Amino acid sequence: MIGGLGYFVSEALLSLWRGRGATVLSVLTIAIAVFVLGLFLLVGGHAQSTVDRWSRSAEVSVYLRDEATPDQRAAIERALRVDRSVSGIDVVSKDQALKRFRKDFPELAPATTGAPDNPFPASFEVRVGRAPAGDAALEHLVSRVAALPGVADVRYDRRWLDRLVSLGEFVRWAGLGLAAVLFLAAALTVTNVVRLSLHARRDEIEIMELVGAPMAFIRGPFVCEGMIQGGLGAILAMIALRASLALAAPRLSAMSAGLFDIGRIEFLSAAAVTCLVFGGMAVGCLGGFAASHRVR
Amino acid sequence: MLYSPAIARRATEGRLAPRGSNTVIEIEGLSKRYAHDVFALRDVTIHVERGEFAFLTGPSGAGKTTLLRILVGQETPTTGRVVVDGRDLAALKPADVQRYRRTVGFVFQDFKLILRKTVFENVMFSLRILGVPDVQQRRRTFQVLKWVGLQHRANAYPIELSGGEQQRVAIARALVNEPVLVLADEPTGNLDPDLALEIMDLFRKMNAGGTTVLVATHDRDLIHHVGRRTISLDHGCVAEPA
Repeated sequence: MIGGLGYFVSEALLSLWRGRGATVLSVLTIAIAVFVLGLFLLVGGHAQSTVDRWSRSAEVSVYLRDEATPDQRAAIERALRVDRSVSGIDVVSKDQALKRFRKDFPELAPATTGAPDNPFPASFEVRVGRAPAGDAALEHLVSRVAALPGVADVRYDRRWLDRLVSLGEFVRWAGLGLAAVLFLAAALTVTNVVRLSLHARRDEIEIMELVGAPMAFIRGPFVCEGMIQGGLGAILAMIALRASLALAAPRLSAMSAGLFDIGRIEFLSAAAVTCLVFGGMAVGCLGGFAASHRVR
Repeated sequence: MLYSPAIARRATEGRLAPRGSNTVIEIEGLSKRYAHDVFALRDVTIHVERGEFAFLTGPSGAGKTTLLRILVGQETPTTGRVVVDGRDLAALKPADVQRYRRTVGFVFQDFKLILRKTVFENVMFSLRILGVPDVQQRRRTFQVLKWVGLQHRANAYPIELSGGEQQRVAIARALVNEPVLVLADEPTGNLDPDLALEIMDLFRKMNAGGTTVLVATHDRDLIHHVGRRTISLDHGCVAEPA
């Protein structure tokens, strides 16, 4: 009806500039909300991929006695392979175990060179299916295999892995909850900032009404104002998150002692960044709409 | 000289009833009651014909402003019927009220100009909301500013203008849409007598071009000077035959 988009944007920018103190406050509030959400998405995404990587590695490790005979080893492997919860088995010899240790812990490698014998046991690394933690069948398999001759020990990783997954889920939901609260606060801030600008321009709005301006034409600049605040806040948050990641990654990497490959943390995907920026704009837009809706 | 068919057509879009008679303002048995049974208007019947220039007069509290507010669509009648250029104002929905306002020009005592916009932008705003193409907006705005003698102040801001000049801008804004009717509420109330006469001359000129004009004023000298029909209100009632 009205080619008013340019008008909305120019009016909104002018208004934002006039109330720049409040605008900065509003943009920062949105930036904090989007930053927190982005951070949790980043951490949650990386934690998920780490857990997935660990899940793909051995979940049940069956360590063999050095004196286990080939028949005993075959019986153990057979017992594992027939179980339906087992999705794969890797056989790790004593030499492979030693090499792996030296590779994973190079600073400790010299300690193994002076040893008369290879202290690392051979093992079967067993990947299990998607059975939930504490699954009775899996527990049964572990106890059954532990009792077989030739088995020195059975380590069942799944329990703590599941606890880690649960903890990760909890952290993720807590993050989402926190982000939701912050988004609500941001929306309210935008609403109040737009309301201030509405109040400052109430005479102008009355004049617009009197000359017959459509409500969309009157409200448009205020909705646009909220949307620009939201967009700016979200972009600022993305820049801050990227910079924080670049600064923090090397330190975190050192602190994690190789457990987490922080150096390989990738920034949020383009789709996620786009979603967050549009999300910020949507929150701002809602705030602007809520405030401008007070115009008759 | 001022008439622009394209703009007039846009301004009258949304008309709810066809132009049926020569009566532009048709008020029948209008009453407006506020809380505590206070009547601002009581059984008012007024007709204003197309192309007429009429004054609405009366002492303070007579109901002039209430009547104009109803004609502007800022108030609704308690009882009675108000039809302006074929539109029954009581039946208008909010969006229709806005459409209706685009077909009528309003001039106020306090000018009601947007202070952060230039003279040119203030006048052009009415065309912008009609969706008139840019080139046409500019041409028409310049034409109307020239008509009120303010083309040389086009880039000035309202605050840089005298009261008389500000009222000329308001008149230009009221006229720019080719309205069928211009309503003015004490348009000379803030001006000295000489400027008041100049403004009245503009209304006369506007009326000579075919626009119906209704001016609310309590200035008897001005009414006598212009010498047109007068509708007197007193305590919310029509005091003299309309």
